[in-house]
Amino acid sequence: MAGAAETRLVSGDTSRSNAVAAAAVALAAVLFVTSLAALFEVITISDPFAGVPVVTVLGGTLSLLGVAVITFGVGSYVGAVETEPSRSAGLVAAVVFGVVWFAVGGAVTSRVLGIGGVAWAFVALLTGAVASAVTAVPREDIGSTLPAGAVTLLAGMTFLTGSVGPAWVWELEFEQQASLTAEFAIPVVTLFCALLAGWAAAKAYGGFGARGRKMGAYLLIYLNAGSIVSVLFILIAFTAFRGIPGLLNGTEFGLGTGPTVFGFALPVSIPFVMHGVSLFNDFQGVLPAIAGTIWLVVGAVLFAVPLGVGAAIFLTEYAERGRFTQVVEVATNGLWSTPSIVFGLFGFAFLIPRFGGGKSLLSGMLTLGFMLLPLVLITSREAMLAVPDEYRDASAALGVSKWQTIRSVVVPAALPGVVTGVILGVGRIAGETAPILLTMTGGTFVPGERTVDVIGGFEFVSTPPFVANPELLRATTALPFQLYALITAGVGLGDNVSSPTEFQWATALVLLLVVLSFYAIGIGARYYFRRKLDYE
Amino acid sequence: MSKTTSTTETDRTDTERVGTTTGETDEHVRDEWRDYSFDAPTKIGVEDLDVYYGDDHALDGVSMDIPEQSVTALIGPSGCGKSTFLRCLNRMNDRVSSARIDGSVTLDGQEVYQEGVNLVELRKRVGMVFQSPNPFPKSIRENISYGPEKHGDIDTGLLARVLGRSDEAAREDLVEQCLRDAALWDEVADRLDDNALGLSGGQQQRLCIARCLSVHPEVILMDEPASALDPIATAKIEDLIAELSQEYTVVIVTHNMQQAARISEQTAVFLTGGELVEYGDTDQIFEDPESDRVEDYITGKFG
Repeated sequence: MAGAAETRLVSGDTSRSNAVAAAAVALAAVLFVTSLAALFEVITISDPFAGVPVVTVLGGTLSLLGVAVITFGVGSYVGAVETEPSRSAGLVAAVVFGVVWFAVGGAVTSRVLGIGGVAWAFVALLTGAVASAVTAVPREDIGSTLPAGAVTLLAGMTFLTGSVGPAWVWELEFEQQASLTAEFAIPVVTLFCALLAGWAAAKAYGGFGARGRKMGAYLLIYLNAGSIVSVLFILIAFTAFRGIPGLLNGTEFGLGTGPTVFGFALPVSIPFVMHGVSLFNDFQGVLPAIAGTIWLVVGAVLFAVPLGVGAAIFLTEYAERGRFTQVVEVATNGLWSTPSIVFGLFGFAFLIPRFGGGKSLLSGMLTLGFMLLPLVLITSREAMLAVPDEYRDASAALGVSKWQTIRSVVVPAALPGVVTGVILGVGRIAGETAPILLTMTGGTFVPGERTVDVIGGFEFVSTPPFVANPELLRATTALPFQLYALITAGVGLGDNVSSPTEFQWATALVLLLVVLSFYAIGIGARYYFRRKLDYE
Repeated sequence: MSKTTSTTETDRTDTERVGTTTGETDEHVRDEWRDYSFDAPTKIGVEDLDVYYGDDHALDGVSMDIPEQSVTALIGPSGCGKSTFLRCLNRMNDRVSSARIDGSVTLDGQEVYQEGVNLVELRKRVGMVFQSPNPFPKSIRENISYGPEKHGDIDTGLLARVLGRSDEAAREDLVEQCLRDAALWDEVADRLDDNALGLSGGQQQRLCIARCLSVHPEVILMDEPASALDPIATAKIEDLIAELSQEYTVVIVTHNMQQAARISEQTAVFLTGGELVEYGDTDQIFEDPESDRVEDYITGKFG
C-alpha cells in the first residue's frame, strides 16, 4: 500500500487486499451466473456437485462471500487497509438495505418464529429501520458492507444448515394454492445476495469513496447487461434444443432424396419443412405454414412500405408543420399501440366481405399491412427529419426541384432508418396470431400440395381485370396460428402426428428461424444502404 | 431587430454626425448606394429590399448594385442581415415559410421577384456555397454530376446506357473541369468514387464550390465559406475566389474584415437593424469610410 509520503495519484492496485476483493467480486459474479442457470433449470439445485448437493455449495459460497464482505468493511474501518470512504453510504443504499432487511425480518419472524398479526410487521419494520440506520449513519465502509455481508451470510447459513433445503416449500395459502418452492426461492435469494455482496465487494475493491462507487456501479451494469444477453441466448437455445429433434425427424441425405426444386432434386430431405400433413406421409411437416408466413410478411411489407414511406415524405417535406401533422402523429402512434385483435376484427368485418367472403391470404396480408403501416410511417418520418437540412439547401441552391431532391438525397439518406423500422415491424407481424386467426387461416393442417404458391397462382382471364390469382383468395395457414392451434386446441394429438410435443417445439423453432432470417435480410439491407452513405 | 430600434440608432448617429456631414440629412439615404458608379456593368441590382421574418425586420430598405465579374464582400456584425440579403439574391429565402420579402432584385435587368420566374433557371444562374461544407453523402463524382443530371444535361442512367446514349464521357469531362476550376482535382483525381464525407473540411468546401460550378452559374453567392476552416484551407479558398472572379460574379459574406480587404473589389457594410450603411470600393471603405459608424466598426469600436 502506498505510504503517506507517496503520492496518492497511483495507489497500489496490486496489493493483496485488492486481490482478495477482486476475488470476492468474481465469486459474486459466478454466484450470479449460477443462480440464473438454476432459475432456468439448467442446473438442478438438489443435484450433487462434486459429491455435495448444489444447495450446500451455494450456501457455503454465500457464507464465505458474506464473511469476506464484512471483513473488508471492518478492515477498512479499523485502518488495516488504506481506503477513502465517504462519510455515509448514502440515501439510496439506506433505502435499499432497509427494504431488504424489512423482507428478511418479516420472513424470519413469520416463518421461523411463527409470529403473526401486527407483531410480524412491527419486527419487520424494526429490522428494516435498524438496517437503514446501520447503512446511513456510520462511515461508508461499514455502511455499505455490514448490511450486505450480513444478509449474504444469513442466506448462506440458511442453505448450509439445511433450514431451507431442496424439499422446502412455502405454502402461500392463497386461493390459488400457490406455493414458493425451493427450486425457485433458492436461486432468487442467491441472485439478490450475489448482487448485494458483489456490489459491496466491488466498492471495497475500489477503496470506497468515489472510485468505489464507480466500481459498484460498473459491477451492477455489467451483470445487468450480461444477464439480458444471456436470457436472450437461453431463450433461443431452449427453443432450439427442444425443437431440433422434431425438426430433423426423418431427415435423409443423399442424391435424389429431396423434393424437386426448379427441376433439380435436392440432396437432402427434411420432411418437417418440406412436407405438409397428410395421411400417407411417413413424417408430417409444416411447409404450408412456412410458405403462408413468408407470403404474409412479403405481402404486408409490399403494402405498408410504399404507403408508409410516401406518407412520411408528405408529412416531413410537404405538409406545413402544424395542427394537422400533430393529429396525424398522434393517430399513428395510437394505431401502433392498437391491440392486434382489433386489427383482426377490422379485417374480418371489412376486408373479408370485399375479397370473396371467405378467409383468404390477401385479407391476412392487408390486415398485417395495416398493422405494419404506423411503425413504418413513424420510423421513416424520424429518419427523414434526421436528414440534415444542409442537404436540402445544397440541392435547392443547384436549382434541383423538391421532388428530385427528395428522391435523390432525402430518401437515400433516410433508408437505413426506414429499414430499421421495417425490421422491427416484421418481427412483430410475423408472430401475430390473432389477426390471421380471424382473416386468413383455414384448417390447422394444410396438406403439402395445398402449399400456397402466389407466383404460380397468377393466371390470365378473358374478363377484366384480366389477371386473377386464386391462391391469394384461398384460406391457408401460418406458423404462429398453427402453433396456437396445436397447443390450445390439441389438434394433431390423434394419429396425424406421432409426437405432438416434438412437433410443437419444432414449429416454434421454425417460426423463430423464419423471423430471424427476416431480421438477417433486414440487417443486411440496412448495412448495404448505410455503407453507401458512410465513408469507410 | 425591430424597426423602432433601427430608427433610434439612425437618429443617434445623425446627431453625432452633425457638423461633419457633407450636407446629407439622413445617412442611409435609400438610393445613395444604388447610384454608385462602377466601371463594370451591373449584374445584380437591388432596390428597396425589405425582409421580415414574422415580426422581425431583418433587412431594412437595402439598395445596391453589384457589378459583374468581381468580388463583392458583405461585412457587418452577426445578425445584421448579410446572410439574409445573400439568400434573397437566389430566392433561397422562399424556403423559409415565415419570410416576407418586399422590394426588387434584378439579374441582368430582369426582375427576380415576379410571377413566373423559373426558380430552377434562377438558381442555376445564381449558385450558392454555404457556411459549413455540405457535400451530399455520395461519391465525389456523384456530388459534381448531381446538378447536371437532375437538370437532364447529362444522362448516364440505365435507360441511356441501354439505348447507347450515355453521356459518360461528358460527365467525366465535366467532373474534371469543375474539380480543376475548384483547385481540387490534383488531390482527389484518383479517388473520385470515394464518399465525399471522407474529405477534409477544406476539401469538402472546395468540392461544394466545384459542385456549384457544375451547373455553369454566372453568379456565385458565398455565405462565410471559410469560417469553418483552418488558415491554410482558408488561404486556398481565398485564392480560388480571386481566380473565380475572372469569370464569375462573386458575392461573399464574411466576418473576417482582413479577408474582405484581401479578396474583394467592393465592400458593403451592414450594421445592426438590417441596414446597408456604406457601400463602395473596398480600399475606400477600409481606408476612408464616409460613415463614422463604419469606421467604428472597422476599427473595432463597434459590433
